[in-house]
Amino acid sequence: MNQTGRTKQNQRGIRLTAGAMVVVVSAMGGLVVASEPLYKLFCQVTGYGGTPRIAEGQISSGVVAETMTVRFDSNVNRDLAWKFRPAATQVNVQIGEEALAFYEAKNVSGETLVGTATFNVMPERAAPYFNKIQCFCFTEQVLKPGETVQMPVTFFIDPDILKDQYARNIKTVTLSYTFFLNQDQSKAQTTHQANYSN
Amino acid sequence: MADTHAHAHGHNDHADHGHHPTGWRRWMYSTNHKDIGTLYLVLAIVASFVGVGFSMMMRLELAEPGLQFIRDQHFYNVLLTAHGLIMVFFVVMPALIGGFGNWFIPLMIGCPDMAFPRMNNISFWLTAVGLILVATSTVIGGGAGTGWTVYPPLSNHTFHPGMSVDFAILSLHVAGAASILGAINFITTIVNMRAPGMTFHRMPLFIWSMLVTAFLLLLALPVLAGALTMLLTDRNFGTAFFEPSGGGDPIFWQHLFWFFGHPEVYIMIIPAFGIVSQVVSTFSKKPVFGYLGMAYAMVSIGFVGFVVWAHHMFTVGFNVETRAYFIIATMIIAVPTGIKIFSWLATMWGGSIEFKTPMLYAMGFIFLFVVGGVTGVTLSNAPVDMAFHDTYFVIAHFHYVLSIAAMYAIFTGMYYWLPKMSGRMYNEKLGQWQFWITFVGVNVLFFPQHFLGMAGMPRRIADYPDAFAGWNMVSSGGAVISLVGALLFFYILWDTLRNGAKAPANPWGVGANTLEWTVDSPAPFHTHEVLPVITAEPAGSHH
Repeated sequence: MNQTGRTKQNQRGIRLTAGAMVVVVSAMGGLVVASEPLYKLFCQVTGYGGTPRIAEGQISSGVVAETMTVRFDSNVNRDLAWKFRPAATQVNVQIGEEALAFYEAKNVSGETLVGTATFNVMPERAAPYFNKIQCFCFTEQVLKPGETVQMPVTFFIDPDILKDQYARNIKTVTLSYTFFLNQDQSKAQTTHQANYSN
Repeated sequence: MADTHAHAHGHNDHADHGHHPTGWRRWMYSTNHKDIGTLYLVLAIVASFVGVGFSMMMRLELAEPGLQFIRDQHFYNVLLTAHGLIMVFFVVMPALIGGFGNWFIPLMIGCPDMAFPRMNNISFWLTAVGLILVATSTVIGGGAGTGWTVYPPLSNHTFHPGMSVDFAILSLHVAGAASILGAINFITTIVNMRAPGMTFHRMPLFIWSMLVTAFLLLLALPVLAGALTMLLTDRNFGTAFFEPSGGGDPIFWQHLFWFFGHPEVYIMIIPAFGIVSQVVSTFSKKPVFGYLGMAYAMVSIGFVGFVVWAHHMFTVGFNVETRAYFIIATMIIAVPTGIKIFSWLATMWGGSIEFKTPMLYAMGFIFLFVVGGVTGVTLSNAPVDMAFHDTYFVIAHFHYVLSIAAMYAIFTGMYYWLPKMSGRMYNEKLGQWQFWITFVGVNVLFFPQHFLGMAGMPRRIADYPDAFAGWNMVSSGGAVISLVGALLFFYILWDTLRNGAKAPANPWGVGANTLEWTVDSPAPFHTHEVLPVITAEPAGSHH
């Protein structure tokens, strides 16, 4: 035993323990790196925070007699000079029926702007049953100065909602969108140039 | 000739044995666990001047309704942010973990030093850099006014465009790295370097507390580091982890932060459990009641501490099952905590108790921790929490458990181990005065905040309606009394180092039977070079 009180065996144990602890720290680090996609996945699967289902290319499993009111809400972040509103503020749909709604957006600024919409469904309990087949929010929207567009949303409400004891009494669902100025405005440039070449 | 040589050689050996660097090199390059422990304690004291100073400025402003001294609400936010960050990361953690941990882990397990003495040095100096960075964050770019929780969107580029939040993030990164290195050092030392015969189940409870704390640090801090990195890139490199416009979610930050943050509060209190266990046993002259229960209560508190984080964010809109789970999981923590409280009481029961200052502080800790624990169980109810969220009730709760109880543990440890660390005895009469002044002060300071919170006074705002004036004035009065207690403590510290009577190796008598009391006072530069052999169960576990 030397002055620091370490034996050979001890030395090995120290290296092993320290190594194991480094592995633990790295594992926790890896978990954080993975947490972002995992959190998104979790929200999509469970409808957490009012995240609706994205059901591109799917169809409803059937239509039932019960109806539900779907309200449409629209918001624009102050950094984006657009007007944005639903064509109709609410619609009555049969549960399971595929429905089409429109929003209208207008660029009131003097420049081409790229916007992205975030969306959620309230009450959150209904979110996992709210299936969006087609939505303008899946892609970035580019609007030239003064341009107005009609943007369609196709959706259906999964009849399984009637089997969920916490969600079956919900009679009204609100679909809400908020448009933000996209941090990446490069598409505005290309559109602008395309304009000039025309 | 041969004789002379042998003699010279022997002499050299002897000189080497006592040799250590002097002057600033002794501290700057230190690899000695006692010196590094002292450095941590000094750092905690220096940081406490700033952290406590800021809280006094806030209490001054809050003494009366209206804005008298702090007219800029953002400046008030900067004060409360710095107060929180400094007290958590640069006062409580360095004192309890870096200070007492470094000093007493090797002394109590019977080994000469930590497993990685040079890494120990890096840990300390990184912590010191962290303190400088957090101090910078208060003055640069308007100051970071985010609260210690650094929630986006308040902490993002829109609302904190300057460099302040970046400095705060960097500070936490650096301090976090220091703590991770320190934790690896602690675990490696405790697992591999215990004296022959000291099995895990013979370790003093303070060592158990350090082991559990080190594991919490190891598991929690990488999560904080990852979350802070995401926030940093959101702020500076256009990512959108927490930025809704890019598809991110601010709630995601809250999950990550509290996944770290809840274990963090146990990181601050579990070392306190360890210190209080040693002191209660010493001054009751009895082994700790239910040693194994005490040890595994800490392990289970640490374990459950990782699965209760969302009780800090009941108001974000969880569904009822999620809330039910987090309520139940949170309340379950009261079980191991109750085991600890009752075991301390049972330890004192029938003991020949000596009411010396450390014991007064340990008993004060138990009382105050119960008060804070009871309000904690109150707040664990989601429906109650939604009413009390972000009110002074929460402030009162976490100051009882962290500010007062953790501080009490620091005082307990300081009075208990000061003779060992400095070789001198403090003035017992002054110590007891200091205890009673502080006891009155902190209770007058924080108890009325329960009433303010229940009446609806929100936290983190420099002004309030006139209806809250009465108890706020009382609370600020308590702050003044507490400040007197704190200043008296610094006087006692100075008086001890300057005039204190020489301390024997064991000033506390038969109750103090852990290994640190077998070496001289002050503990020599090198200790336990001949490893002690443990044949009986050590302190707290005699059968």
